Amino acid sequence: MAEVHVIGQIMGATGFSESSLFCKWGVHTGAAWKLLSGVREGQTQVDTPQVGDMAYWSHPIDLHFATKGLQGWPRLHLQVWSQDSFGRCQLAGYGFCHVPSSPGTHQLDCPTWRPLGSWREQLARAFVGGGPQLLHGDAIYSGADRYRLHTAAGGIVRLELGLLLRHFDRYGVE
Amino acid sequence: PWSFPGAPSLAMTAAGPSVFLLMVNGQVESAQFPEYDDLYCKYCFVYGQDWAPTAGLEEGISQITSKSQDVRRVLVWNFPIDVTFKSTNPYGWPQIVLSVYGPDVFGNDVVRGYGAVHVPFSPGRHKRTIPMFVPESTSKLQKFTSWFMGRRPEYTDPKVVAQGEGREVTRVRSQGFVTLLFNVVTKDMRKLGYDTGPPDTQGTSGPSPPQGIPR
Repeated sequence: MAEVHVIGQIMGATGFSESSLFCKWGVHTGAAWKLLSGVREGQTQVDTPQVGDMAYWSHPIDLHFATKGLQGWPRLHLQVWSQDSFGRCQLAGYGFCHVPSSPGTHQLDCPTWRPLGSWREQLARAFVGGGPQLLHGDAIYSGADRYRLHTAAGGIVRLELGLLLRHFDRYGVE
Repeated sequence: PWSFPGAPSLAMTAAGPSVFLLMVNGQVESAQFPEYDDLYCKYCFVYGQDWAPTAGLEEGISQITSKSQDVRRVLVWNFPIDVTFKSTNPYGWPQIVLSVYGPDVFGNDVVRGYGAVHVPFSPGRHKRTIPMFVPESTSKLQKFTSWFMGRRPEYTDPKVVAQGEGREVTRVRSQGFVTLLFNVVTKDMRKLGYDTGPPDTQGTSGPSPPQGIPR
């Protein structure tokens, strides 16, 4: 079986209007993939940057997959939330990106979006906070039913992911 | 494969090697901390169960450095790193964990930042600039008390910085950057079937410090 190692970090996020941010992340794969070691999902710390506007998490990712096929290449999905001084959390953006498919180290910028509600919900969000969230997290990384959503852009999440492939040449993958 | 600890090359059987080597050398080059001065750093390596260091030093403490008097205001350590690991599995790839300490107003040694990054795995020269953060207390009273008493929140074991689990309950503040330089050499990874990608001789990555702080 071919093996894939994803070794890297969720570095941080920039471009969001709020400043104390954290990220919930997860990796979704197809049926042919099996996670041999590593945690498939997690949550970063909350960072309040003192210098500049980028929130830094440096959250390590170390995953070891074994696979029988190329379908269902791993996708990393992210939810960026902001936490205020009272400890309340508000959604700042959803995003996903595919794990790179060529070996080596890659710098990834993952754009994010958040659902817009009606004008009433937008007004309430500006004053009181809150705002609509997705009921099922799989809309973040799947295309089905996206046409129902109306969204606005959030900031960008920066990732540095390194990819190590093993035995792919045995199966004829270039 | 562990029966020849000092000479991994002798562990090659007719079927090929089962262990690969990772040699890392380089330096903790410099730091940018706009608000703090007179800093020293400690580094250590964190790695998975399948890894073992075979040569070199796994940890170190640098000298204390002050900001240069010129307009650049850099803190330079130029502190060497030299370590070799052997492993059977890339899972648990080594990370270098840095902790930076400095004096506060009352003269106590307090932590100014923690940071961690994976050792790069493509052979070649790599420059990495990593952000440094400190744990932060949530209540204002606790922040004042810790400032006053010189006892800041810090991690009991800095290796926690290299792990992802349990982070969701921590609040941190990022307040500086450290630049590291790595030269990486690997042995027998390709023979074991691993493809590490193109050698990256110009690798420079990491966040650029915000404007106003010269690199």
